[in-house]
Amino acid sequence: MSENKIIACKTHEVAPGQQKIVQLDRFSVGVFNVDGEFHALLNVCPHKGAALCEGPVCGTTAATDGRDFTYCKDKALVRCAWHGWEFDIKSGEFLVDPSIKAKTFAVSVEGEDVVVHL
Amino acid sequence: MIIDVDCHNYWSSAEVLLPYMDPFFKDYFIRGEQPGPRGAFPHAHRPWLHPEGFKRADINPVSEDDNYAIMKAKHLDHYGIDYAILTGDEALEASTLANPYYAAALVRAYNDYQVEEWLPRDDRLVGSIVIAPQDPQLAAQEIRRLGQNPRMVQVLASHGASRPYGDPFYHPIYEACAEMGLPFAIHLGGQGGINSNPIGAGPTTFFWETHAILPQSAMTHVASMIAQGVFEKWPQLYFVVIECGVAWVPSVLWRLDANYKALRKETPWLKRLPSEYFKDHIRFTTQPLERPDNLQHLWSLLEAMDGKNTLMYASDYPHWDYDDLNSLHIPPEWRQNILGDNAMQVFKRLQALDAAKKAA
Repeated sequence: MSENKIIACKTHEVAPGQQKIVQLDRFSVGVFNVDGEFHALLNVCPHKGAALCEGPVCGTTAATDGRDFTYCKDKALVRCAWHGWEFDIKSGEFLVDPSIKAKTFAVSVEGEDVVVHL
Repeated sequence: MIIDVDCHNYWSSAEVLLPYMDPFFKDYFIRGEQPGPRGAFPHAHRPWLHPEGFKRADINPVSEDDNYAIMKAKHLDHYGIDYAILTGDEALEASTLANPYYAAALVRAYNDYQVEEWLPRDDRLVGSIVIAPQDPQLAAQEIRRLGQNPRMVQVLASHGASRPYGDPFYHPIYEACAEMGLPFAIHLGGQGGINSNPIGAGPTTFFWETHAILPQSAMTHVASMIAQGVFEKWPQLYFVVIECGVAWVPSVLWRLDANYKALRKETPWLKRLPSEYFKDHIRFTTQPLERPDNLQHLWSLLEAMDGKNTLMYASDYPHWDYDDLNSLHIPPEWRQNILGDNAMQVFKRLQALDAAKKAA
């Protein structure tokens, strides 16, 4: 884990299902709260460089062998602000092709601080 | 190995179908209103009429026997064709009729006529089970009725249709195709009547103008077959698109892939990119192959659709825009695949027929 740890924000500033975009060093980073767990993504979409983390935090349909529409990953997915590519907030994986990943950073909570490990 | 996947067998009059019709529909056919003179095939004709007629001017059969004799001399023997898949002609237009029972009776009669009067003439000829897709249950019955015949190698519908072919409405057809191990093919035609206007912005004026832009409905069918998950439901199914052009294919696939990446949530049954389903399940036929001034432009597009593996040779004999096998403008190192090997893979029954012929 990187030693370059920076306080991104206070825990109460990002409610579950929301995100906050902060500038850390030279990086724009999105801090997300997924069910009380904090995650951080580089605010750059690996597709076209858009501000990934400004997109909606939402869910999507689960893969199926049938014709059912099952909502999944509720508030655990960010849809890129420009072209709508779906990224799993925890892993950074693009749902259509998991070999394409948004850059993630490790996060720790220290007291009331959300700390991002750059 | 040379396989022509689009070889039209004509008839001198649609009355050749009469011996194969049930009494009720025979009566309908003989005494009912026709779109042309006596002997015309009943269909709701498209509004664009070829000003010279469809066929090559050097092919003028005057009898039923002539139809085959001329095909043999000027096409099969002349080019050394190993197998030709018969695609009929007017029978496809049954899809334009509002009455699905009459349409089903007509294609049933055509299919029997083809089996009885064409296939025995030459062991190079193999057939298509023509269906009237406006009633998918009746179409599925017809596929199962003839599906065991080893010389029937595909199911064939017109590309003019009342809705895009991936629609679950049509899925009984693919269920039957899968059960019989047959590809589902669509061939240019079937415009008019109950079918959607194939020209998106409204009716065009001239025949050549219309013919050039008929790929529009093929685009719709390709997108629909992929998006509706037909190839997830029937993982062995091949979809063959005949005479709808090819140079547009990469462009549509690029768009489908790009849009799917943004909106996969609409179709959670898909597991792969649209272009990947295309490569495994959809095949296009060459004729009429686009002819740019700079052939390299065409070849770049063919390469983008993996043309070496996704294209099959078609002559469209004996139509006005027939392609000469010897001047097919494809990269020379692709010829063996496109002329025969790809078709051998798609039409599984040809493999068995060919093995039997070699053993004999």
